[in-house]
Amino acid sequence: MDGDGVMISLLNLSKTFSDDKHTVEAIDGFSLDIQQGEIVCLLGPSGCGKTTVLRMIAGLESKSSGSMKVRGKSVTSAGSDRGLVFQEFALFPWRTVRKNIEFGLELKTMPVEKRHEISSKFIELVGLTGFENVHPGKLSGGMKQRVGIARALANNPAVLLMDEPFGSLDAQTRNLMQKELLRIWSATGKTILFVTHSVDEAVFLADRIVVMTARPGKVKEAIPIGIPRPRDRTSSEFISVRGEVLSVLEAEFEKTQIRELSGD
Amino acid sequence: MSALHTIIRRFGRFAKSRRLQLSAGIISVSAFVVFWHCFAWLLEYWDLSLQEYVPFPIEVFEVLVYSFVHEVPGMDLSMGVMALASLKRVVIGFTLALIVAFPLGLLMASFRFVNYLGDPIIEMFRPIPPVAWIPVLLVMLSVLWGPVAVVFLGAFFPILLNVMFGVKRTDQTLIDAAKTLGARRIDIFTKVVIPSTAPYLMTGVKVGLGISWMCIVAAEMLPVLGGGVGNALWTSAQQFSRFDVTFACMIVIGLMSILTTGLAEQVERRLYRWMGME
Repeated sequence: MDGDGVMISLLNLSKTFSDDKHTVEAIDGFSLDIQQGEIVCLLGPSGCGKTTVLRMIAGLESKSSGSMKVRGKSVTSAGSDRGLVFQEFALFPWRTVRKNIEFGLELKTMPVEKRHEISSKFIELVGLTGFENVHPGKLSGGMKQRVGIARALANNPAVLLMDEPFGSLDAQTRNLMQKELLRIWSATGKTILFVTHSVDEAVFLADRIVVMTARPGKVKEAIPIGIPRPRDRTSSEFISVRGEVLSVLEAEFEKTQIRELSGD
Repeated sequence: MSALHTIIRRFGRFAKSRRLQLSAGIISVSAFVVFWHCFAWLLEYWDLSLQEYVPFPIEVFEVLVYSFVHEVPGMDLSMGVMALASLKRVVIGFTLALIVAFPLGLLMASFRFVNYLGDPIIEMFRPIPPVAWIPVLLVMLSVLWGPVAVVFLGAFFPILLNVMFGVKRTDQTLIDAAKTLGARRIDIFTKVVIPSTAPYLMTGVKVGLGISWMCIVAAEMLPVLGGGVGNALWTSAQQFSRFDVTFACMIVIGLMSILTTGLAEQVERRLYRWMGME
């Protein structure tokens, strides 16, 4: 079933959270194949389980049922073949930029020179040359996330999972980081699964936008974005595609609003 | 108008300066010494037969200087020797507490089974004030190691509890990040949990040091081999009614406590700078 180019394969994935009193179906019957080298943006109303899907692929959440494969191998736990970039950066504050990026390499007990060589390469790739020995506390949000991306890439993962990575950045920095991500993507050719709630961001980045339904989350519609890169946010093509995606999303958004108002 | 502004601005700058802090400190300490002097003088003037308990500041200062070089009146050791003896006991007791409490706190907070084993015992001993152990410990371990053991008990719990709290407060996203980078449990423990407890450890260290000095005074109430400021404090008051010596001992203990706390703060600052958490 897995074709040659399929990197991530999710079939009928579901996730139920439960405590003593309540059971919540977060994800139900989520199926999606992601091709190698593809950028897929996962878009949906808040609380639809986008982040849960991402965390499940990362191995930080277990699945309740269904199948979940990365490069044909079933996902059972977290591992360095899937790099995760966090919204809140999650950098180790006591480590310098270089030591943050080398974290995964240290775990592989790689010799120092080799580690240094790899971290230098990714420091250059994300544009942090000159900041090698600075601690994260001294960096701006955008620079912190450059470290986050470099740290995930240094492990040479098969896929890069990104959980609203630019969500806490200001608008200008956000746009710049989107361009930077595309540059890094074309340099590395990584498969990227990118969770966002910004339609604009999704249309700018994605090869394909997957819109999720309200809870329990599943795929509502997968929309291929054919606009050639570099994309221009002000072009009529971009605006019309954005409108199209927005209308799909809004229908779902209304459902959650109605549900919240009725107190469900 | 602009002259007024200049004055306000100048005063603002002065208010923030270190010079102001220093002068304010000198003023308040001097005021206290003057107040003390007046109080001692009033007691003498009214002749309430309380004056022998409250010596004049100058008397305390004199005996303090004198006893650092010569013997403390009524005793065969100088204040310097006794201060060092007490400091040695505090350092040994505190260091032992740190060596045991830090790893134990890490393990108890990280491994449920260790916690199940240790928690009942900790909770059993924690409410007992360390000084309540003095009678037993002094007899059991002799007057030499008894005070050390009391200091150990005093410093142990603040360090243990702060470290445990620190482990529990480890940022879950950092643990998640480590996992996705390929960390196993032991890596998470050594590379994420231990570094993030550092500020909590330092809080425990500072609290523990303060309690150590409280303990040493009480624990040296019996004559200790090699002397001790705590012992000098008790005997000078009880046997010789030399309250000038008693007050001098109090000042020495206060100064040593300031010294060790200052040292701990230096270590803390260095540690934070090294860890990039200034």
